Amino acid sequence: MGLTSGSPDTGAGAVVQGGAEPEGAPQGGVFSAQPSFLTTRLDAVVNWARQNSLWPMPFGTACCAIEMMATAAARYDLARFGMERMSFSPRQADLLICAGRVSYKMAPVLRRIWEQMPSPKWAISMGACASSGGVFDVYSMVQGIDTIIPVDVYVPGCPPRPEGLIYGILMIQEKIRQSAPTSQDEWNAVDALPEAGSHLPTGVVNHLSAPFGNSTNQNRASGLVSTGAVVRVSDRRP
Amino acid sequence: MLKRVVYNVLRNPELAPGGSLVHAPVVPVQGEAYEVHEDIAGEHMLINIGPQHPATHGVLRLVLELDGETVVRCIPHIGYLHSSFEKLGEYRDWNQIVPLTDRMDYLAPLIYNCAYAMAVEKLMGIEVTERCKVVRVICMEMDRIFSHLLWLGTTAIDLGAFTVFLYTFQQREKVYDLHERFTGARITTSSTRIGGMMADLPPGWIGQLQEFLDNFVPVLDEVETLLTNNAIWIGRTQGVGEISAADAVNFGLSGPNLRASGVDYDIRKDRPYYDYETYDFDVPVGEHGDIYDRYLCRMEEMRQSVSLLRQAIERLPGGPINVDDPRVILPTKTAAMNDMESMIHHFKVVMEGVRAPVGESWFSVESSKGELGMYVVSDGGAKPVRWRVRGPSFINIAALPHMIEGALLSDVIAVNASLDIVLGEIDR
Amino acid sequence: MTAGGDAFRQGAEGLERGPLPSDAGGEGAAPPAGELPPHPSVDALREEFGAGVLRHELVAGDEHIVYVPPAHNVEVLTWLRDTPAHRYDFLQDLTAVDYGGGRPIQVVYQLWSIPNRLNLRVKCELPLHALEIETVYYLWRAADWLEREVFDMFGVVFTGHPDLRRILMPYNYAEGHPLRKDFPLRGRFSRAEQTRRALSMKTEDHYSPQELELAHALGQALPEVMVEGPVQGDAPGIGIGAG
Repeated sequence: MGLTSGSPDTGAGAVVQGGAEPEGAPQGGVFSAQPSFLTTRLDAVVNWARQNSLWPMPFGTACCAIEMMATAAARYDLARFGMERMSFSPRQADLLICAGRVSYKMAPVLRRIWEQMPSPKWAISMGACASSGGVFDVYSMVQGIDTIIPVDVYVPGCPPRPEGLIYGILMIQEKIRQSAPTSQDEWNAVDALPEAGSHLPTGVVNHLSAPFGNSTNQNRASGLVSTGAVVRVSDRRP
Repeated sequence: MLKRVVYNVLRNPELAPGGSLVHAPVVPVQGEAYEVHEDIAGEHMLINIGPQHPATHGVLRLVLELDGETVVRCIPHIGYLHSSFEKLGEYRDWNQIVPLTDRMDYLAPLIYNCAYAMAVEKLMGIEVTERCKVVRVICMEMDRIFSHLLWLGTTAIDLGAFTVFLYTFQQREKVYDLHERFTGARITTSSTRIGGMMADLPPGWIGQLQEFLDNFVPVLDEVETLLTNNAIWIGRTQGVGEISAADAVNFGLSGPNLRASGVDYDIRKDRPYYDYETYDFDVPVGEHGDIYDRYLCRMEEMRQSVSLLRQAIERLPGGPINVDDPRVILPTKTAAMNDMESMIHHFKVVMEGVRAPVGESWFSVESSKGELGMYVVSDGGAKPVRWRVRGPSFINIAALPHMIEGALLSDVIAVNASLDIVLGEIDR
Repeated sequence: MTAGGDAFRQGAEGLERGPLPSDAGGEGAAPPAGELPPHPSVDALREEFGAGVLRHELVAGDEHIVYVPPAHNVEVLTWLRDTPAHRYDFLQDLTAVDYGGGRPIQVVYQLWSIPNRLNLRVKCELPLHALEIETVYYLWRAADWLEREVFDMFGVVFTGHPDLRRILMPYNYAEGHPLRKDFPLRGRFSRAEQTRRALSMKTEDHYSPQELELAHALGQALPEVMVEGPVQGDAPGIGIGAG
């Protein structure tokens, strides 16, 4: 095996043949824990291939889905990023773009679609509703899909402009550029979500879903407090 | 024992003198439906389409019982996008509800904005200015074209015609530009307010609209040459998804779905608002109630909307866009910045909200999808007691099983597309 | 300054007073009851049903409302639909209003006659302890999903409806009926609990009675988990499910 990894202080470019491995380290080779010139080059190649040929899974539910369609159409072309092949089957997709509000009725569907996607996979939460619940802080809406699936990039907006979505996609590409796909850890990583329930603990889900912002306790629209000296007939308790 | 009705496709097609296809009727086989032994028929399949599916136009779930390719039963499931707009509206002021209306029918947001404002203005007894009326008519007709273009693109792509999708989306980008110039947003326009609009039309907007109309009609003609006399299109849409006039009325269908069955009901003609009775336009009414007739109705509606827009542009009067009523309208920015009393007035209108009298109003407009009704109930406060949206798609989709039971699986997608549904207004 | 001051005073007073009662002509208060402008169907209804018409109101300038006792809704609506002079063949809307504070829930039928071009609203008031009314499914098929939605959102049971189950909320929704005034905006359970319940729902495990009937007809035996029975919190009149 000529491609053993070099020790850290030999730096890039040094290939030590038959060099001593640190005790307890996994066997040398391309997938060893120690980065080297060859593995970083391989990483770069793999990352380049992945980022420029992402097959998005458009999980479009509402208005953001229309903006996603517009992003894929002629003016804000997604094909220049290699993403024109929208995969409607999760089995063949690697980027889930959740565009639109997700209700609790839809949540298990989203979860299942995410679980059906093979690794490596990334998720973009497009729009305010997918990121945090948006304007819909109500009984039926998931307050951010990150309580259901792990999200990589959040694109704010209601709906985000196509340029905004493209910026989010570029951030995903940046994230892919910085990943180490051939490292042992990555190779062995298993991204399993718990069998039932959210992948986040209860307290975190409640904290993420709680109403937030400066204005929450200061205006009547939050439905949390009735403000003002005059309590009108129409100020309903939340 | 299972009864089966067998259809013969393209029986006795009608040809033009040049040999091109004019009409291809799809007729059931002559004679009675015959019974089939179970062991020959085989088992029925229960399959699930959606809620995540490219061709359901949103998060709609259809459970189909199939006998081979024939749909024996269809059960639609909705509610995957239920965002409780109506409950949320009870916690929002009358003007704060306007942004919510964009997000229901996101394909024609200005129609929803206008319909809501009109319902509340009816409740309050406010009559908007002449200029505002014409501007709202322009907004509604422009969004009718906008919505029909999306319908056309997505229906065509569902049936395999990809080019039409690209053409229509290119035209829609121009309407997005118009939306953005007027309201600041491409889709979620939120442009009306109680008593007027958020702002007047910017200079040059009308010119841009006219340019759009001039360039749009040739594109529409081009799309017609691609579809209207196309044998594949005719074969897939004629005779498919038929619903009779009596059934359509009983199911509560509205809009082009109802008119394609031969029922002449258009709110712009039957309960006209904003001087629609003074505009010169026709309402296309079909005959067979199949997908092809719905397609023809919507194509013609787009042309009629172009004509309406040209008339509206011509008659657009000057004058204020907002009603001169300090109880509902904010003072101008200049006044509010320079004048303490106006600033306090501004503060009171924004912080305490506009108040409506005790009462209620059920008002409907002809939206691109059908009869869009808004029911607002007030108890004298700044927020509604009840805000109900009669979304036309909710009632239209309920008729889907009636239309496709007995049809083939590929017709399910075609009929679903032809109903022009938007899940935002179905699930609300 | 004075001009601004006048406008402000007008505005401020106007805000306090609120807009005048709505009236299409903008001419002031609505005419007193008994002198309401005539509506052909209301007069004919009074003739036909007499005490079956509780009251007649006019709102928003030109909208006529007729209140009918819930027990007679089908009778009155059938008459309205079938009598040629009235022929309300189009059910525009069927909804409900909860005013809160223990007041009855109103079921609202909004009707339009396509041949005669007439609008009419029929309302039935249901006390909170007796939220039951007969279905009009057999009059207008449009009522199918509309009544399901009213059941889902308000808990009103439409007797005789062939398939009354939740339509917008999930099958296992146990927090009650959302559009009731005593239902909080964010629901009764915590967000974590709502998330947990949502994710524990396997959509294909719950088929509706209709779908189960198909399975029976096809001779397929289904596992127990697929049989959807009444879920706690689904029953009418119960606001909160246990657990």
